[in-house]
Amino acid sequence: MRFKDSIKISFTALKANKSRTFLTMLGIIIGVGAVIIMMSLGKGAQGLILGQIQSIGANSIYIEPGSFDPKGGGSFTTSAIEEMTIKTLKIKDLESIRKDPLTDIAYPMVYGSGRIIYRNEDEKITFIGITSEAYEMDDWHAINGRDISEDDIRSTAKVTTLGHKIAEDLFGEEDPIGKTIRIKKTNLKVIGVMEERGMEMFQNFDEYVYIPITTAQKLLLGIDHLNAIAVRAESESAINPLIENIRLALRENHNIYNPEGDLSKDDFKVMSQVEAADMVKQVTGILTAFLSSIAAIALIVGGIGIMNIMLVSVTERTREIGLRKAVGARNKDILKQFLIESVALTLFGGLIGFILGLMFSLAAAIVLSRVLNTNWSFIMPFGAVVLAFGVATIIGLVFGIYPARKASKLNPIEALRHE
Amino acid sequence: MIEVKNLKKEYRDDSVVTTALDGVSFTIKEGEFVAIMGPSGSGKSTLMHILGFLDRPSAGIYKFEGQGIDELNDDELAYIRNKRMGFVFQFFNLLPRTKVLDNVKLPLIYSQTSEEEKIEKTKQAIEAVELSQRINHYPNQLSGGEQQRVAIARAIVNNASVIFADEPTGNLDSRSGQKVMEILQNLNDKGHTIILVTHEQYTSEMAKRIIRLKDGQVLSDEIVSHRRVARDGLLK
Repeated sequence: MRFKDSIKISFTALKANKSRTFLTMLGIIIGVGAVIIMMSLGKGAQGLILGQIQSIGANSIYIEPGSFDPKGGGSFTTSAIEEMTIKTLKIKDLESIRKDPLTDIAYPMVYGSGRIIYRNEDEKITFIGITSEAYEMDDWHAINGRDISEDDIRSTAKVTTLGHKIAEDLFGEEDPIGKTIRIKKTNLKVIGVMEERGMEMFQNFDEYVYIPITTAQKLLLGIDHLNAIAVRAESESAINPLIENIRLALRENHNIYNPEGDLSKDDFKVMSQVEAADMVKQVTGILTAFLSSIAAIALIVGGIGIMNIMLVSVTERTREIGLRKAVGARNKDILKQFLIESVALTLFGGLIGFILGLMFSLAAAIVLSRVLNTNWSFIMPFGAVVLAFGVATIIGLVFGIYPARKASKLNPIEALRHE
Repeated sequence: MIEVKNLKKEYRDDSVVTTALDGVSFTIKEGEFVAIMGPSGSGKSTLMHILGFLDRPSAGIYKFEGQGIDELNDDELAYIRNKRMGFVFQFFNLLPRTKVLDNVKLPLIYSQTSEEEKIEKTKQAIEAVELSQRINHYPNQLSGGEQQRVAIARAIVNNASVIFADEPTGNLDSRSGQKVMEILQNLNDKGHTIILVTHEQYTSEMAKRIIRLKDGQVLSDEIVSHRRVARDGLLK
């Protein structure tokens, strides 16, 4: 029997009961659509996060306490706790880093949270202790008043520069410069208001309060260690060698014996954009795979629906099968006919599911871009397309073979006698 | 063309054995018009099925055009059914949502023929049963008699050498039944072998020879002395 004729027979059968055909396809449509949406949104989310990471500036390196080996499968929670409890990162480390010729700029950070109070206004904020290099490295300055200076650091001055939004919240129309605010029982004079910066790396810079690091350490937090060190390498090619140098220097400072360079033995983590990006890719990859697998369950259910309907179809067309065999159809002709029908169902359902998934992902990208006020790019990974159609075909074959075989094995005489 | 020797067919249902055919023998030559008659349970349907390669005997010999049914596998039986045999059933068995053209064409799609040849043969077969004006109609738009004629066209579309008809007039009024028998007689005149199963005495007398079965055995095998010609008038 010619392939073209098989197709014609199968399509005639599917067209005969359009609403049933559609309902049967529904499982596949939903399954494929869901998988497509998961993979597209997953990629989009990944793109968004990577975009945020890239915004922190080229050639940046970031050092924090606590060990983390993105390739070794370290635990997020452990490292989060470590970040808060390990106290080995010190000014001495900063000095070692500054001495390295590959370093362009480096500055230390401490952070804490508390309430900022001005007259009747008070707000819960996060304050960050920094040095004057921070303004230079990020090219971010006060638009009202001045930045924190080296003198302020040296003299442990009780001063602060406010993030744009905090200044607005506390002072409204008033000029904040020269006024005194209070954090954690310490009075600080406002010397500057920062220009607007918006959200980067998932942090809203306009909502932070900036204080000289020495002031923050001694008067507000009572600590002498650092929470982070931010570094800019002098060139892109310097990033990796500088990271190595930093690791060696810090190991020496912290008395860590780690000749093999086992990152889990360090009590600090050195991250560049690259590692952060890798981490993100890994996590979003796992998440996407997980969500897509769940969506795939819908496909399995759809396949079972197809098998069910094909069995019903075979029973309904028993006489027809008997007749075809009587006029010369072989078993495999009948098998082919019904298998093509079920694959046609799944492929066509897959196509519709794909188109719907595409449209939904596109719409979602537009909506999310607006809501998150960022650029959510619409991505349709080619792998998802191949996967969706490939899986649809396989489902058609796997769930169609049992009814098709049943049909092909019917005894023509009994079949012709059937109701 | 058809050689049957001591044909037996038994059905086993657990421990109960039913004998449908109990040693049937006869020969049918090309061009004959044979009616097989008998009460229900006589085995005539079973015999018809075996002759039409739709079933295999439990014992005995059946040779069709020199080939024994035991020597052929299922695919080969299907091939011979397709090329050499045509079937007409009591309840027509047309494909419901399919045009007359495609119904008659059905056997051809399982054979290796070019598309032009298929269309040509189909049209010829439809002409032979005088239904050219209905070629694009659907079965539910046709009368019972017309449907049976479509079935006959289907049976001869691949130039089958033998037509097996199982109670072809059983579901028709006498007028349509007469028309159908007229066509079968015409086909026989043109050289097709016709094997007819019927329980109607007057229908069987339109054949040239009657084989009577009883309890799975041949009761009699006689030439019809006063053959009825359908063209001449109503059956009854």
